[in-house]
Amino acid sequence: MNRSAPTRHDEAWRYSDISAVEAAWPLAAPESIIVPAGGNFARTILQDTGSIHQLDIAIGKGATTAIHVLNIGGDYGRVELNVTLHEGADFKLGAVQIGGSTQNLEIITTVTHAEPKATSSQIVRSVLAGTATGTYLGKVAVARDAQLTDSVQSVKAMLLDRSATANAKPELEIYADDVKCAHGCAIGELDAMGLFYLQARGIAPADAKKLMLQAFVAGVFEGAADEEMLTDAALKKLGELV
Amino acid sequence: MSDELDMRDKAAWDAAEKVADYEHGWSSDIETDFAPKGLTEDTVRFISAKKNEPEWMLEWRLKAFALWKTMTPPDWAKLNVPPIDYQDAYYYAEPKAKPKLGSLDEVDPEILRIYEKLGIPIAEQEVLAGVEGARRVAVDAVFDSVSVATTFRAELERAGVIFRSISEAIKEYPELVKKWLGKIVPMHDNYFATLNCAVFSDGTFVYIPEGVRCPMELSTYFRINAENTGQFERTLIIADKGSYVSYLEGCTAPMRDENQLHAAVVELVALDDAEIKYSTVQNWYPGDAEGKGGIYNFVTKRALCQGRNSKVSWTQVETGSAVTWKYPSCVLNGENSVGEFYSVAVTNNYQQADTGTKMIHNGKGSRSTIVSKGISAGHSNNTYRGLVRVAPNAEGVRNFTQCDSLLLGSLSGAHTVPYIEVRNPSAQIEHEATTSKISDDQMFYAMARGLNAEEAVALIVNGFAKEVLQQLPMEFAVEAQKLLGISLEGSVG
Amino acid sequence: MLQITNLHANVGDKPILKGLTLSLKAGEIHAIMGPNGAGKSTLGYVLSGRPGYEVTEGSVTFNGNDLLDLEPHERAAAGLFLGFQYPVEIPGVSNVQFLREALNAQRKNRGEAPLSGAEFLKVAREQAGALGMDMDMLKRPVNVGFSGGEKKRNEMVQMGIINPALAILDETDSGLDIDALRTVGDGINRIMRKPGKAVLLITHYQRLLDYVKPDFVHVLADGRITRTGGAELALELERDGYKELAA
Repeated sequence: MNRSAPTRHDEAWRYSDISAVEAAWPLAAPESIIVPAGGNFARTILQDTGSIHQLDIAIGKGATTAIHVLNIGGDYGRVELNVTLHEGADFKLGAVQIGGSTQNLEIITTVTHAEPKATSSQIVRSVLAGTATGTYLGKVAVARDAQLTDSVQSVKAMLLDRSATANAKPELEIYADDVKCAHGCAIGELDAMGLFYLQARGIAPADAKKLMLQAFVAGVFEGAADEEMLTDAALKKLGELV
Repeated sequence: MSDELDMRDKAAWDAAEKVADYEHGWSSDIETDFAPKGLTEDTVRFISAKKNEPEWMLEWRLKAFALWKTMTPPDWAKLNVPPIDYQDAYYYAEPKAKPKLGSLDEVDPEILRIYEKLGIPIAEQEVLAGVEGARRVAVDAVFDSVSVATTFRAELERAGVIFRSISEAIKEYPELVKKWLGKIVPMHDNYFATLNCAVFSDGTFVYIPEGVRCPMELSTYFRINAENTGQFERTLIIADKGSYVSYLEGCTAPMRDENQLHAAVVELVALDDAEIKYSTVQNWYPGDAEGKGGIYNFVTKRALCQGRNSKVSWTQVETGSAVTWKYPSCVLNGENSVGEFYSVAVTNNYQQADTGTKMIHNGKGSRSTIVSKGISAGHSNNTYRGLVRVAPNAEGVRNFTQCDSLLLGSLSGAHTVPYIEVRNPSAQIEHEATTSKISDDQMFYAMARGLNAEEAVALIVNGFAKEVLQQLPMEFAVEAQKLLGISLEGSVG
Repeated sequence: MLQITNLHANVGDKPILKGLTLSLKAGEIHAIMGPNGAGKSTLGYVLSGRPGYEVTEGSVTFNGNDLLDLEPHERAAAGLFLGFQYPVEIPGVSNVQFLREALNAQRKNRGEAPLSGAEFLKVAREQAGALGMDMDMLKRPVNVGFSGGEKKRNEMVQMGIINPALAILDETDSGLDIDALRTVGDGINRIMRKPGKAVLLITHYQRLLDYVKPDFVHVLADGRITRTGGAELALELERDGYKELAA
């Protein structure tokens, strides 16, 4: 159906660049990925053109999926993942978004633990400069009886300029009692003492900042097939902002 | 039934008679259009006339009513509320008096059992249950509650504290009321707040003058004057420069009320260096074990930390109501102002709670702390919903949020919906959330030391909620602890 | 080498240093001792340019140049090294990467060619070895998961690699057991006791001075140098306490 474009009242689009969304509307159907029982799936998404990526991923019994995202390009870039985990499945997301000028970048995830013993881990790092907006809306839903779920969300954002915006909503919806679900979210600026330490060892302020930012996103792409490409692209983008 | 209608008509007539000036032709309408149930402009006029309100107040209410008619109830909360027929409710009646009882023997034994568990003295139990002549009993048996209350009132007046019903304040201190009423929670804020503006029954007004530390916990006062609160309460507390007040609303004792819909509005203002501590124990009727009945509690509470170094601290223990929709918030405009939110919300059986806070940081150096403890049992759903927002010009803001859920049994739900919106790089915002259950090991350990299952749960739950409970005024902390245990009765097999 | 004249400094609005005067010549080791809160750490931070430490009066020259005019990294490039009392943890950045970048930034600032990876590793291995530090630790993120003693040892390894002209060592002895204290003391002597170099040891206790013998000992109290003497002054302080002497 050709339903109308979303508005800010739609929860999943509350911080979006609505005019960009309207221009892109109607969207193609989300890419559907089915990881069969026991299978392993990995995907790297480099969003560097200003586009909307939507993936529906069903992870079968005992299967694993690792998604790595670098969201850096265009005026409006959105990566939306709708993940369903079956018994004992594992989902890992490592995502970095880096935005400057007036960019609006977002990562939207819904991770549903439909059956017991599945695990999920989401690590999201955002660096925002200028008047850019970076958003992470991440919902972890644990179905009734999806016991022994283990889910973690680690969300951090760093603002480099006044009026850059970081939005985060690490959401939990839990209907089973024997679960481990935790999320942590921190938004702040670079640690002043760390910056001073680097400078006291002779590193110029801009380089110290870059080094700290590099450390901030480091590790997110660990294990990705394209680790080097993603890291290089992230560092290049950071270099443009500092 | 017809007797009841007659009574209502008579009450309406009496009130109308009291109003000397009928500028708006209201007197001519009353005979023909008056309806005992339902909500129309005339209902609003009636309430205002009955309270003998000044013109400006009536106009304000009418404006709110006109606005309310254009609004729709919010649908974003994780609540399943059947549609409410606003025309099938009473708005103008005196708050319903509790049935007068001859003695405690006539009180529902279930309620008596809970009084006893809470450890409430007999004399106070009688006041709470509405036993005829209870106050006199109190005078004889324990203490002179009337004279104590009078003493309190005199003491407050000596300190310059204005402490009135909001209806009295509208007449006696119109300038103060006009200056702040609807300024913290704007009339158009939300469906329920707007409704409250139109039809609020009564409530409390407190003004603490500059430099005054309120000589008593206002909780103490209410403790003795535990009266039936209205359906649409309106509270306004103004803490002038350098003043301090601690206010406690509610009661640990179970409150039965026939009015299913409650929509209160609480507005707090703290000026330079002022501090308000606002504590709530909410234990309205939650409905029965099958989820029948119970209060719908749609409350709007907000504080304006307007002054430098001002501070507002909300503490709430929410155990009652079938539906709770409530987000006590702080707008931190003042430089170095501080907002705090400490909450324990317990849901059992089929209760639903969607509660949390908003911390809006506009002032430089403003800080906030959020500690939320949600406990879900039975078939209930318990949601923390919060917002931390930092404006672009607010340098040096700090927020720490800790959000923990405890699930008892596998049929309940625990949800966390934190919104974080930051626009200043110097902000330090930290949010942590955990979900846990009571482990079999913990239960076994406690039971091996001689506690029964319910006592063990109560012990563990109190430990879980300790950080919040210790924020309560001392005399309530002990009862609140017991209350948590009582609220969870039947949640373990 | 270092000339501090009538130095006044605030932290926030609070005056901490209140007219401190001190002179260090090349080849000398000075110890600054004093009670807690006297301003010892503040002196180290002011000299290395930590933001928030504001000089309100006085001057500091380093080899004849105005030190206070320089940014922290320029001071480092000029040859000043601060050994931190609480070395900072930097997750995600390895020691090797950090030090190589720091060393080459300093060399660049001095107009020297950068060291290649191999050249750098050779230096790093030497210094780590001399201080009994595992190369694996050098590959780990800066100070992350290090014990208090390991952090201090790591500071010394950094000092060895960077090879500064002037080292200001802030409570480098705190948190060290007796063996580590000896290792660190030997390190300071080996790296810094050379013509053309100087050390300012900031310490609360004299035990480090058993290993690193100072040429001068100063007592810092209430933001000023109240007494100066030779190595024997440290022993006197240890025996009699600061109260007597500061008075």
